[in-house]
Amino acid sequence: MVTSQTIFGIVVPTTQIEKRKIPIKPDVSPAIIDRVVKNRWNKKQILWSMVLLVPPLSLVYPTFSSSRRTKMNIFTSFRISNLNLLFLILPFIGVGRSSVEVPRPRGVSLSRLALYDPEKDFTCFDGSNTIPFDQVNDDYCDCPDGSDEPGTSACPGGSFQCTNAGFKPEILSSDRVNDGICDCCDGTDEYSGKKTCVNNCLEVGRAAREEAARLAELFKVGKQLRAELAQEGQKMKNEKQEKLNELAKNREEAENVRLEREEIKKKAEELENKALEYYRELEDQYKKKKAEQEAEKLKEEALENFKKFDSNQDGLIDIAEIQSRSSFDRDRNGQVSEEEAKLFLNNQDSVELETFIEKSWPLMKPFVSIDSSMYKPPVTDSELEGEEQEGHEEQEKSLGELEEGEIEQDEEDEEEAEPEETQEEEHKVEYDEETQKLVDQATEARNQYDDADRDVKSINDQIRQIEESLKKDFGPEEEFASLEGQCFEFKNLEYTYKLCPFEKTVQIPNSNSMETSLGRWGKWDGPSGNSYSAMLYDNGQNCWNGPNRSTKVNLFCGGENKVTSVSEPNRCEYAFDFETPAACHIAGSRDGEADVHDEL
Amino acid sequence: MGRRIFLLGLVLALLGTPLAVDKNNFKTCEQSSFCRRLRKYEPGNSVYHLDLSSLQVNENSIEASLVNSEVPAANLKLHLQAVVGNIFRVTVDEVNGLHPRYKPQFALNGEPQVNKLEVLERNLETVTVKCGSNKVKVTANPLKLEFYQSEQLVAVVNGKGLFAFEHYRNKPAEGETDVQIKDDPGAWEENFKSHHDSKPRGPSAIGADFSFPGSERAYGLPEHGDYLPLRTTGTGGNDPYRLYNLDVFEYELDSTMATYGSIPVLYAHGTKHTVGVFWHNAAETWVDINNSKDGNMVSSLVNLVSGSKTEANVDARFMSESGAMDFFVLMGPTPRDAVKQYASLTGVHTLPQLFALAYHQSRWNYNDQDDVTNVVAKFDIHNMPLDVMWLDIEYTDSKKYFTWDPIKFSQPENMVSNLTGTGRKLVVIIDPHIKREAGYFLHEDALKYDFYVKNKEGNVYEGWCWPGSSSYLDVYNPAAQDYYKKLYSLEFFKGTTHDVWLWNDMNEPSVFNGPEVTMPKDMVHYGGWEHRDVHNEYASAYIRITHQGLLLRSPHRRPFILTRGHFAGSQRFAATWTGDNEAKWSHLAASLPMCLSEALSGLSFCGADVGGFFHNPDPELLQRWYQGGIWLPFFRAHAHIDTRRREPFLYPDEVMSNIRHSLRLRYAHLPLWYTLFWEHETTGEPVIRPLFYHYPEDEKVLDIDNTVLVGQSVLARPVTTAGETSVEVYLPGGSNAKWYDIEDYNLYQGGSHKVPVSLDKHVVFYRGGSIIPRKDRPRRSSTVMHNDPFTLYVALDSNNAASGTLYVDDYQSFEYKNDKKYLYVHFKFENNKLTSSLIDKTDYATEEWIERVIILGPVNKHVSKAKITSKSLGVATLEVSYDAEYKSLTIRKPAVSVREPFTIELV
Repeated sequence: MVTSQTIFGIVVPTTQIEKRKIPIKPDVSPAIIDRVVKNRWNKKQILWSMVLLVPPLSLVYPTFSSSRRTKMNIFTSFRISNLNLLFLILPFIGVGRSSVEVPRPRGVSLSRLALYDPEKDFTCFDGSNTIPFDQVNDDYCDCPDGSDEPGTSACPGGSFQCTNAGFKPEILSSDRVNDGICDCCDGTDEYSGKKTCVNNCLEVGRAAREEAARLAELFKVGKQLRAELAQEGQKMKNEKQEKLNELAKNREEAENVRLEREEIKKKAEELENKALEYYRELEDQYKKKKAEQEAEKLKEEALENFKKFDSNQDGLIDIAEIQSRSSFDRDRNGQVSEEEAKLFLNNQDSVELETFIEKSWPLMKPFVSIDSSMYKPPVTDSELEGEEQEGHEEQEKSLGELEEGEIEQDEEDEEEAEPEETQEEEHKVEYDEETQKLVDQATEARNQYDDADRDVKSINDQIRQIEESLKKDFGPEEEFASLEGQCFEFKNLEYTYKLCPFEKTVQIPNSNSMETSLGRWGKWDGPSGNSYSAMLYDNGQNCWNGPNRSTKVNLFCGGENKVTSVSEPNRCEYAFDFETPAACHIAGSRDGEADVHDEL
Repeated sequence: MGRRIFLLGLVLALLGTPLAVDKNNFKTCEQSSFCRRLRKYEPGNSVYHLDLSSLQVNENSIEASLVNSEVPAANLKLHLQAVVGNIFRVTVDEVNGLHPRYKPQFALNGEPQVNKLEVLERNLETVTVKCGSNKVKVTANPLKLEFYQSEQLVAVVNGKGLFAFEHYRNKPAEGETDVQIKDDPGAWEENFKSHHDSKPRGPSAIGADFSFPGSERAYGLPEHGDYLPLRTTGTGGNDPYRLYNLDVFEYELDSTMATYGSIPVLYAHGTKHTVGVFWHNAAETWVDINNSKDGNMVSSLVNLVSGSKTEANVDARFMSESGAMDFFVLMGPTPRDAVKQYASLTGVHTLPQLFALAYHQSRWNYNDQDDVTNVVAKFDIHNMPLDVMWLDIEYTDSKKYFTWDPIKFSQPENMVSNLTGTGRKLVVIIDPHIKREAGYFLHEDALKYDFYVKNKEGNVYEGWCWPGSSSYLDVYNPAAQDYYKKLYSLEFFKGTTHDVWLWNDMNEPSVFNGPEVTMPKDMVHYGGWEHRDVHNEYASAYIRITHQGLLLRSPHRRPFILTRGHFAGSQRFAATWTGDNEAKWSHLAASLPMCLSEALSGLSFCGADVGGFFHNPDPELLQRWYQGGIWLPFFRAHAHIDTRRREPFLYPDEVMSNIRHSLRLRYAHLPLWYTLFWEHETTGEPVIRPLFYHYPEDEKVLDIDNTVLVGQSVLARPVTTAGETSVEVYLPGGSNAKWYDIEDYNLYQGGSHKVPVSLDKHVVFYRGGSIIPRKDRPRRSSTVMHNDPFTLYVALDSNNAASGTLYVDDYQSFEYKNDKKYLYVHFKFENNKLTSSLIDKTDYATEEWIERVIILGPVNKHVSKAKITSKSLGVATLEVSYDAEYKSLTIRKPAVSVREPFTIELV
């Protein structure tokens, strides 16, 4: 069974790291680990020895830790000596116990023991070579597949098995043998004598068993919780389906109501229309009169201003006369350019009164009125650049504000059904009683229709929402469904991260609340066969000079819903770890059914 | 290391310009006043003559007044000296000039040892001197120096009459015309873009032309993103090769533009002789090259038709903005001699620790301490060797060097101890710009003790770099040097240990808002030198402090430093790399000529960012890059912060497997690399070499720069183009030469071959005649390989003989030097007998032994036994087997210590 565990924050197969699962901070060096473990060993040695099957090698077979002065000795002695004495780990007759370890060449697993028969020549597993048995484990690679050197580093790609009594056997790449680093918890990978490794398999084994038990318990609970979640999810799905049916029915009713009311509205409006014809005519007349008055007023204004602008009294307004008035500085650069001036002069060098009234004044009027109220002339060039810019900003800002205000005003106006009536209070039409009644009836019919229409739209919205939700894949048994609509936070020193399953991931700096989207719900993204082990949220906010942000959420079995870590392995690609009972079935996830049985 | 993301990047992004070098940010010769002035000189009009009546003859030199007939007031003296090892030195300086003229302080490895100079002939027109088999004929009017190897003229100085020496002068009054400077508008002040150079000392350029009769190519003058052979420059063609250390954003290839380093040494090489020039000057320098082969088409055609050949010739012209004129002529006569002569002047890289030759994994940036630990763990899980993890600028607390980010790197000690627990090391970056922040000890101390570079008004210079507003350490101030080197101590730089080493980047120096992204030339250094005078040496002066600091910190460990800026002599302090390259095939290809050029110029410890710094390499490019990168001395993967993660374990199995294969090949050859570095230290020979270095008489190799020789025994021709199924490789040595494919042991004769290249193929050969020591047991790091046994690869030549060397010591300390604790072993194979002997009378108690001997190309396949003889083993019999597929003999387990002389005879 494939198991895995997190060490230093990475998920790695348990086979490779169980030995380190001693209760020690992960970031201390092996040297420190050795020391710590050694102390533990000394304290409990006596107790352990009662149940220990294989005590530290040095106790059993001193040769392995002390006799090897140099490699040269090994080789010469290997060539001449009886192999059984040197390369076999001899059986250990347990301290007062009856357990017996089977003799086998160093680094060989029990399952392969039969392939190493000291009475026969050894044939490489791949059949490529047959060698005298004393060339097995003689620190020279005779077999391309490495099978003749299970206990040395001689063969590239070979493998070495640590027995790890008290824990579980482990297969190492043979280049870990005698490299000065303790890899096996029983230390058997370092037998050259140059590195003293302490056997901490019992501690590691116990810790692993405890951890396994914890995880198994968690998994048990988790599975139960998951079943409940699945039930809930199924229920939610059914409810949604039911709701959908209900809504569909409601929609039909609501549409019928809307149809009826539309009829009524149509009739009432026909009557109203007819009744209002007379008043509309009156209104037109009034408007026409008003327009004439306005035009007259504009003409008077124009005439007055013409006289004012025509400084040289020649009956023409020319460019120079416009340029002398800062009101016409359209781009607010402190100067009225020739082009700016010509814009007001119908693109001519000068205009006479008639053109002025028709073309120029309507263009000029807004500028003249702004000038008289808000416009401030720009500061002169001689002042400091910085100040000048500040001045500009202020101007622009004030203009901007003004425009915005105007726009808002316009929008409000448009929203009113009949703006003119509301705006011009002095002109309020009084209907006769009958007409007023028809108008009131039509208004009522319109309101009734609007209500019915809103109902239909609201039902449609609900239907769309539920359909969208039903389209989402909440897992094979709907076990993730209840996560929708919830959000889970993870806070580190700089940021708070939020996972809202099936919706989005975001990042919020702790210093302010500027939310950055790290992705919107995309899809299940686990490896094939295990797709529900990870989620992808993509199309988040774009990174400058880079991709859109995205988040991969890795799911793990846990007793409660919780984001346990957040990282950014690639620029703008985030990784969240999320624990949830809903994930308590995922293969290769943090399931607790670790294989921690002893070999013996 | 990266770049001005916020300034330049933003601007580029806004303009929508494709990211590439913006040439407008850097000067052309025409935009540089002194280059423009000197290039206006007409050939054949030299106004300089020697006053031989003033000739003074000394034991090792001659000297005489040099007269500028246009400006007789200029008081110049020429000095010609013989230097030990077939070298002449020529110096021209002002006598009692207005200002002193700068000579680089750190390029030479001590004053060159002088040699005896013999005057053969002298009169008022000429004087001829001799040293060994070389002689120099000095002609007085106009000045001309002719250098002879025996009777062969190999170099001429001022043969074209373009010699120039602008003595310091007072600014002419309004209306006065300077006869020498004419009226160049940039002579007394100069503008480039928005930058103003006030030039308070006025014009001070120097220049000289060199002709090399009989030379077919010129090489050297790094660092340029260019071919190995130097190309013809000149009006209408390429700008001159520019030597001015600059932080060029996305430097372009096939270009003579300046980049991060400048080494003003040039080798003129023909099939008959080689001669070199080392232009010992640290100011901005331009070098024009003219190769007669690039002359007009007609004469080449005539030559082709008639079969006759006018003698080949290469001309070079050095032009520098200021400083004394001081150049060395390296008399060869072979490329090997000339390169060693250069090394004898500027020194060598001392033997690095073994880990430094192994694989380095870097990225801008590993996010935090856990990230570092995780990356290493993944290398172990996937059985890929790794020795060094690197931290770029983000590990610091807000770019304040000698500090750690308090959150991301809160426990550097633990991180380092996790690394060293499996034999790994850490390298951290330290740059010379200093953040101007109140409360930052370094800034406050630098202000307090007056350690900063000043502007011409005498105020502290402020520029813009990674930390924002920054000032720059005046690396020429001895007190600043003394202060700064102590910062590397373990007490001071908390979190570091004896296993943490240094990366000095941005030391051109890079100034984001300075002219051409560097320091303005009118800034002032200690001693009153203008930045103009010392610029190209700034990086070298800086890494020299780091080097001293690390020796002080870890007196028993050989320092490792990587530098980006470099100059002549930098090899004594640091390794270098080709800077911020790109994830493009062209940049993979360029890494070979660029490093070969550095290696010829003293800097053997060179590499390129594997994978390319900018942008994302596709898996094919990445695999090929690893396959090529393992054959350059410095082997580091590095990437820009905006790139995707690309550690090899992130790729699918087949990609991972190919990269693992490359990594293991590198590790297997570490004994060879290590031996070559020892030989580099002791002989000055480069670790990697272009083909012409060992095959100087072969015309066919003159332009080959896609092939690198590792020492003399390994030839690598990496695949540097996409989608290749086969590549052309030229194996030198003639038809008698034998070359063995290192993967399938296929035998090739000298000549051109087309070799198929599947995606896992390394196109690499062992030269027949060489013995290559390897360690074929894969391990997770080089540190845990120290005691592993060797396999000897005996590649037989046509005489069925071979030889090779192996150097062994403790791989880290100075005991090899101080206590002679090393072994230098010579292996020789002839007459079916392998003999091992110690070259030096030294000893080192190593546990390394020989586990296997593989003989490539054996004559007799039917050998089944060998007899080993040594003192401790006596006589013993070894098994020998023949592998028909690989056509090789394997001698099984000699099990003899490399410490002990032995013979193994096939019987």
